[in-house]
Amino acid sequence: MKKSVRKFDAIPKLNGSWKYLDDYQYDEIIYGQFLLSKFHHGKIKEIIFPIGYDLKEFTFAKVEDIRGINIVPEPVNDQPFMVDDEIMHKGQVIMGIAHKDKKILQKFINAIEVKYKKLPAITDPKICLNDEKNHFGKIDIIDHRTKTPIASNWIKNHSVYYTPHQEQAYLEPQGTIAIYNSDKNEMYIRVTAQCPFYVKSAVKNILGETVDSVVVESTEGLGGAFGGKEDFPSLLSGVAALLSYKCHKPVKIVLERNEDIAITTKRHPARIELTTYTDFQTKKIKKLEIDYRLDAGAYQTCSTVVMSRGILHSCGGYGISDVYIKGRLFRSNTPINGAFRGFGAPQGFAAIEAHIDSIAKTLKMDSYEFRKVNIFQKGDEFPTTQPITENNLEDCLDRVIQKSDYHKKIIEFAEWNKTHKNKKGIGMAIAFHGGGFTGNGEKNIKPRIKVTIDKNAMVRLFVSSTDMGQGAHTTLAQMFSEAINHPRKKCWVQLPKTSETPDSGPTAASRTIYIVGNLLAEKAREIKQELGFDNLEEYVKIHQNDFPKEYFKIYIPPDYVTFDDAKNIGIAYRDFSWGACVNEIIFHADTYKIELVKSWNVLDIGKIINEKIAVGQVEGGVLQGLAFGTTEYLFKPGFGRIQSFTDYTLPTTLDIPKIEVEFIHSDNQMAKGLGEIPMNFPAPSIRNAFHFATGILIDEYPLIPERIFEKMERNNEN
Amino acid sequence: MKKWKETMKINFILNRKKVSLDVEPMKRLLDILREDFGLLGTKEGCGEGECGACTILLDGEPVTSCITNAIHADGKEIFTAEGISKEDDGKLLIECFDETNAVQCGFCFPGFLVSSYNYLQTDGEENLDKIKMALSGNICRCTGYQKIFESVLLACKRRVR
Repeated sequence: MKKSVRKFDAIPKLNGSWKYLDDYQYDEIIYGQFLLSKFHHGKIKEIIFPIGYDLKEFTFAKVEDIRGINIVPEPVNDQPFMVDDEIMHKGQVIMGIAHKDKKILQKFINAIEVKYKKLPAITDPKICLNDEKNHFGKIDIIDHRTKTPIASNWIKNHSVYYTPHQEQAYLEPQGTIAIYNSDKNEMYIRVTAQCPFYVKSAVKNILGETVDSVVVESTEGLGGAFGGKEDFPSLLSGVAALLSYKCHKPVKIVLERNEDIAITTKRHPARIELTTYTDFQTKKIKKLEIDYRLDAGAYQTCSTVVMSRGILHSCGGYGISDVYIKGRLFRSNTPINGAFRGFGAPQGFAAIEAHIDSIAKTLKMDSYEFRKVNIFQKGDEFPTTQPITENNLEDCLDRVIQKSDYHKKIIEFAEWNKTHKNKKGIGMAIAFHGGGFTGNGEKNIKPRIKVTIDKNAMVRLFVSSTDMGQGAHTTLAQMFSEAINHPRKKCWVQLPKTSETPDSGPTAASRTIYIVGNLLAEKAREIKQELGFDNLEEYVKIHQNDFPKEYFKIYIPPDYVTFDDAKNIGIAYRDFSWGACVNEIIFHADTYKIELVKSWNVLDIGKIINEKIAVGQVEGGVLQGLAFGTTEYLFKPGFGRIQSFTDYTLPTTLDIPKIEVEFIHSDNQMAKGLGEIPMNFPAPSIRNAFHFATGILIDEYPLIPERIFEKMERNNEN
Repeated sequence: MKKWKETMKINFILNRKKVSLDVEPMKRLLDILREDFGLLGTKEGCGEGECGACTILLDGEPVTSCITNAIHADGKEIFTAEGISKEDDGKLLIECFDETNAVQCGFCFPGFLVSSYNYLQTDGEENLDKIKMALSGNICRCTGYQKIFESVLLACKRRVR
């Protein structure tokens, strides 16, 4: 099935009529803003409000106003909504303030003086990650060691790789509207967020028992998220709710871009140390050790889960029998890092894919040939003991090598490079991504869906998955409509609203189509079978008295999906998506700039529901991945964190290569995860292409001209 | 010393209609469009003229309305995404963007529509390099731009010259 149903929301998005958070207006709305800490670490001694303002005109949400608990709900409950005692990072929320006039509010907040007792702070991710003292404490281990001794013909390779923060840079900044209804004693939240039920828990936390109900509704348009709107909306909406509860008016908070960059979650900076032993004769990697570290920021929050996925993907797609992986979180005085497309996996692939090329070089082998010796084969197993049941990763690699004309190009480029100052490079990378929540995650959350069919045979689908641009609501409806054989125009996903929508889980972990979509399709087939119709429209007409009808379904993973979370043993993910890419570059010797020429990407994501949407997802993910490797960084030693889009180098139309995408093994009956896998392989393949072009392997992203220059100068000195 | 007037009257043509407004001269054009005329298609993505989500046409030139003041609109003609979507070339572009499933989150797309429309109006050649240059002031974080190029190339091809 390769239908490309058009997106139902494309035209209103283009003509400007689709509503995003800041487009919602309510009577008597007032504006909220945060008072943020200006120091990285310290204690507040005094807060002095400016004179000349009537404080009665403002609403304040302070720690002492919290009616419930000062904890943002997360896998680790250690982050407060607002500073309680000690400021742990710059940009931490001290209090929320609201006023009817945005300009007055801004001026007022800028004029507030906060006196601090300053304490020592760590803000540089590399300093944080290099010092064992900053370790939070918990160690996550995957132990798949054998007792095989190291043989004399095994070659040791050891390297340390660093990856930086990455900003999600969704085009629509974070925002929320909280409306307290005193008649119903209800708090209503309209928010641009991936996970309405996360926001609901947060608002319940901060308000405690003071309200009878909390209702969270998604905005019509969600201007991008990429993981960035997974948990931060909880903190944002919590404080907005408290403001609205206090003043009994709707409160809107929309972050300015610089504020958004400064205080919201980012991709975790990582330090990954790899040690391998490879048999010189057979070229098989015999032993792999990984020390995987993430800079979590000031609190752990969801970083434990990111780390878990990170270590589970860090071994790369290679059948190695003796593996030991150690994962740890490190503390810095920076805002918390969180979800971002890939969720810990891109850091792992950054390291292993460079390391593989490095071993190949040591063995004087072509990196494709070396991958072929070691790539996952049916019968191998993951370090968690989960068996590899298909050779689809190798199929992706072989296909992309063929498509890109790799073998011909490596000879041509090597020859060309001998006589040219600029250098041509070609590099590859392979990756995989586990669909859905790790281990017992799906079992624990019990995702639910609701379907209603009315007297006009109109089908409404109730899921908590949000459409943040990935086309989820088009594709989910398409899956249901195809499975029940009913026109797409009569199947509609409803805007998620916690009072009407069952909790089908967060919009995360490449699980929307894979878990929620397949669940909807399964329900559609069940309804069809139960009622025994060929044509729903006609069936409803004949059986008018039976309608409207309502159906529910809960996702239950198959019995064989069991995982020991403490020991990291078992089936971590029911299904994996596989992918491989080749990238071609030109390195410009005068400017030290890498020009991206072409990117070939071959993926197995199972059944393709909507080909154009799927290709668009891959193209977007690939570009984010390429930028992760070549241009984007947030922290600059001696400068600090970048504060705006002017300095944060997002790729424009002029910076990008031609991106080619192909799906294989799409005859599979199951649609697997898609959203994240494209993020895992582009950056490592660019590093490998640069390695090919210049013989220099750079151990840190991004490969910006300054870093390349420095590395080359250092090489020349040596 | 001459007293600074707090507001001034500006007259301009907005999406083919004559309008006038008493306004603070330094008020951002973006805010005028959104607050005074309710044209919410013009979005604020960065507030510093970098992302292009607030792109409009001012006398036929694409400008970022978040860093353009009200005073610059006086006597000029403005087109926003809402207006362009009613023009022939705007309709053609919308059809092409829709057909290719190019639109993802959509927050940047009113800006892309404006820049693409301007390209069609001022050049319109089915030329990828020219299109890339014409759209280089608009950032999209979702699509990787490939389907945007495809859409504009398609519109150039279909356009009746």
